[in-house]
Amino acid sequence: MDAILQFLDGNSQYFLILMAGVAYGFFVGLIPVAGATTGLIAIYSFVTYFQDPYMLVVFTTAVVVTSSIGDSFCGIVMNIPGAGGAAATMVDGFPMSRRGEAARALSAAISTSWLNGLIWGLAVFLFLPWYTKIVLYFGTAEMFSFLIFAMTCVIFVSSKYWFRGLIALVLGVLVGRIGMDPQTAADRWTFGWEYLGAGVQIIPVMAGLLAFPELLSAYRMKAQKITLTNQVIRGQLIDGIKDTWKYKWDGLRGGLIGGFVGLVPGIGGNIADWFAYSQTVAVSKKNTDDGEIPVGKGNVRGVIGCEGANNAQKATSYVPTVLFGIPGAPFEVIVMGLLMYVGLELGTPSVLEDQRFFDVLLSSYLWALVIILPISYAFIKYAVYITSIPFKYYFWPILASLVWSSTQYTGYVDDYMMLAICMVLGLGMKYLKFSRVSFLIGFILSYRLETTYVQFTTFGYGWEELLFRPMPAVFISLTVVAAIWGLFFNKAKIDFV
Amino acid sequence: MNIRNTIISAFAGTMMLASTASADITVVNPQKPGGGTTVWTEIIMKELEKHLGERINIRNIPGARDIPGINKFHNELRFDENTIVVTHGGNGVSFLQENVDYDYAEYDSIGLMNLNIIMGKVKGADMDKPKFAGTSGAVPEAFAIAMMICGPDKSLDEYIECFGENVTWVQGMSGGERRLAFKRGDLTGSRENPATYQKHIAPDENAELWFHHGLLDPATGKHHDDPNFPGAQFEIQFKERYGVEPSGEFYDAYVLVKSFRDGLQKAIWVNKGNPELRDRLVDAMNKMVNDPESVAAIEAKNGKYEWFIGERGNQMRDTLMTFITEDALRTLVRFNREALGLNSVLKENLFPAK
Repeated sequence: MDAILQFLDGNSQYFLILMAGVAYGFFVGLIPVAGATTGLIAIYSFVTYFQDPYMLVVFTTAVVVTSSIGDSFCGIVMNIPGAGGAAATMVDGFPMSRRGEAARALSAAISTSWLNGLIWGLAVFLFLPWYTKIVLYFGTAEMFSFLIFAMTCVIFVSSKYWFRGLIALVLGVLVGRIGMDPQTAADRWTFGWEYLGAGVQIIPVMAGLLAFPELLSAYRMKAQKITLTNQVIRGQLIDGIKDTWKYKWDGLRGGLIGGFVGLVPGIGGNIADWFAYSQTVAVSKKNTDDGEIPVGKGNVRGVIGCEGANNAQKATSYVPTVLFGIPGAPFEVIVMGLLMYVGLELGTPSVLEDQRFFDVLLSSYLWALVIILPISYAFIKYAVYITSIPFKYYFWPILASLVWSSTQYTGYVDDYMMLAICMVLGLGMKYLKFSRVSFLIGFILSYRLETTYVQFTTFGYGWEELLFRPMPAVFISLTVVAAIWGLFFNKAKIDFV
Repeated sequence: MNIRNTIISAFAGTMMLASTASADITVVNPQKPGGGTTVWTEIIMKELEKHLGERINIRNIPGARDIPGINKFHNELRFDENTIVVTHGGNGVSFLQENVDYDYAEYDSIGLMNLNIIMGKVKGADMDKPKFAGTSGAVPEAFAIAMMICGPDKSLDEYIECFGENVTWVQGMSGGERRLAFKRGDLTGSRENPATYQKHIAPDENAELWFHHGLLDPATGKHHDDPNFPGAQFEIQFKERYGVEPSGEFYDAYVLVKSFRDGLQKAIWVNKGNPELRDRLVDAMNKMVNDPESVAAIEAKNGKYEWFIGERGNQMRDTLMTFITEDALRTLVRFNREALGLNSVLKENLFPAK
């Protein structure tokens, strides 16, 4: 506690760095599909300016925390995912925005994300060493069974065009398998295009498949004729906070899912929000007699469910990163690289025994959370005005930011070609009503499923490992339950294709 | 809202400007940000800049097995008079067994680090039946394990059969998964460079040293024991166990592949025919390795390894080329394909002229 309070007292430079990190992270979160990873990559050129290595800890932590909150704005106001792990927010958030409830949706998203960030941040940083056994317990059989369970759950977040959704899922799996064959180390389905050897990157898929078609259709949308006075916005902001409390279990369940996904390296944070969203869909009302809008069509529960996972996953992914030097999420690879550059090698005894490192990490995490909350609430007032401005005025800047985010991989023409392909695919799928969400889920999970399956078989494991080891047995049982529920009892379908 | 538009446009413009800002020298790095070679490159280039007096821009060109960036350098960028490239050991292995465009013979060495790869094992584990993470970069380990388990004087077919019967070669693991699996005990063997060995294996009370590959002396063409891990070199361990030194075609293939990986663990190259840039960089490298401050900064982050600068680097490359024989390449490719399941190709263009 003393360290947290002293953070402000004795380190004015740290506070300035913290503020810079908060501002930069929030800004990065606002850029469509960019997210923490892209934002952190962009600061590599400036790393030499951090003379004190702990300053970089402060800065990176602030960026991670605040970008997770900032990325809700894109999804809700513009129907464009703010980052890979925040795409599900737009499914219910944008319809709310179109109905003139943008401030309520944003307030609920920010409050839920913030609350779970606080809970999981405290849980992680105060009890960090306790997690060693959990991380170590999660082996190949556990991972494989968990992925099967996650896949089963999320495929039921399908559109009402279920057959086309299934085809989209298969297509996503196939596209996800482009790249290196994990068994032969040879290129697979690259058609001689060397660029595809490392697989299709997630950012152009998010930008081209999900964001661009929405951007294009929004271009033709008329601006909302909804008058949003300061009083209305303030009222919605309070409603959003009340919603967070009212649907706290949706948010906390999302946090639990996100927290778990972040804790285990290799699952991939991009699935956490869809997984959490699928569980909200599962427990929501299917037939609403009281006029309540169903989840999937602009219900605040849909926003709260997935936003719960967002910051929780970011917080727990610090566990394997700090304890073992094994990145828990893609952005942690960049954090590790940056910190190594200034001499802080995560996972080594020198860092694990460095009390100052942990003090700075916890303090900057908590202070970034504290500072970003009022900023985010205040920003809502300005963000909602976007809904009253025709899209054509900010179509080009957003398109430019999509292109920029998607071409940070190599910067060569191949990046642009891949983005163009994804754009065409996205437009085609949207027009033909093939679920892009299903495609994305298949795409994200296919590589993990394949490599884990390869590990599973080359270890010589069989069905015994799935049925008689405790955690896999639980996941397989849950998979059966989820499949039965999805096939026979699930009536919830979303319109988003 | 105009403010928001302006900010976004300004940010996008700044980033574009930043990414295309001219630097005096561009170094092509074949990895994404955050990768091991990327971090190494950033650390070295930062120190090198001080002694060169010029700005160095790192250009990341990632891709499958870190090959596309070097291919791009070879086919296009090397002809730019201010562009150099960084390669790592995996590129050396790919050079032997994959259809890559690049060719070390066409470059001049600026400097390279010759690393040793250290094998750890779980204490008390049966290392005659090891479980090991199999990746395309772990080919030298597979050869060493096969010889260590199966003994001397075996045919290639016998090594392939023996390896298949005794070694659990677990594919599809990333570096992080491999390390966790080793900590859990799911894998009984693991490999690290000396710096990561100190980080991941040495502090682990359930792990211990197994063996290492040794350090290549380019002058003699022989591998010698690593003073940091004395007595644990593969050749020494093998002799202790079987009473004879390892030899034969299978051993030659092992020497070939381990030399290309470890001898070229981190290397900086410039296109041949660019002596002005080469001399400038070699001069700066020599100053860098003689500057205690730079050396301390590099060793603190990258570990302590011997540098081979300029002509000594070329000598290392030339020594490696002498290990390439038709028999060694054929053995390497067949073992890769039949024992490890890799889709390696026999590169007849590498066969020495008869």
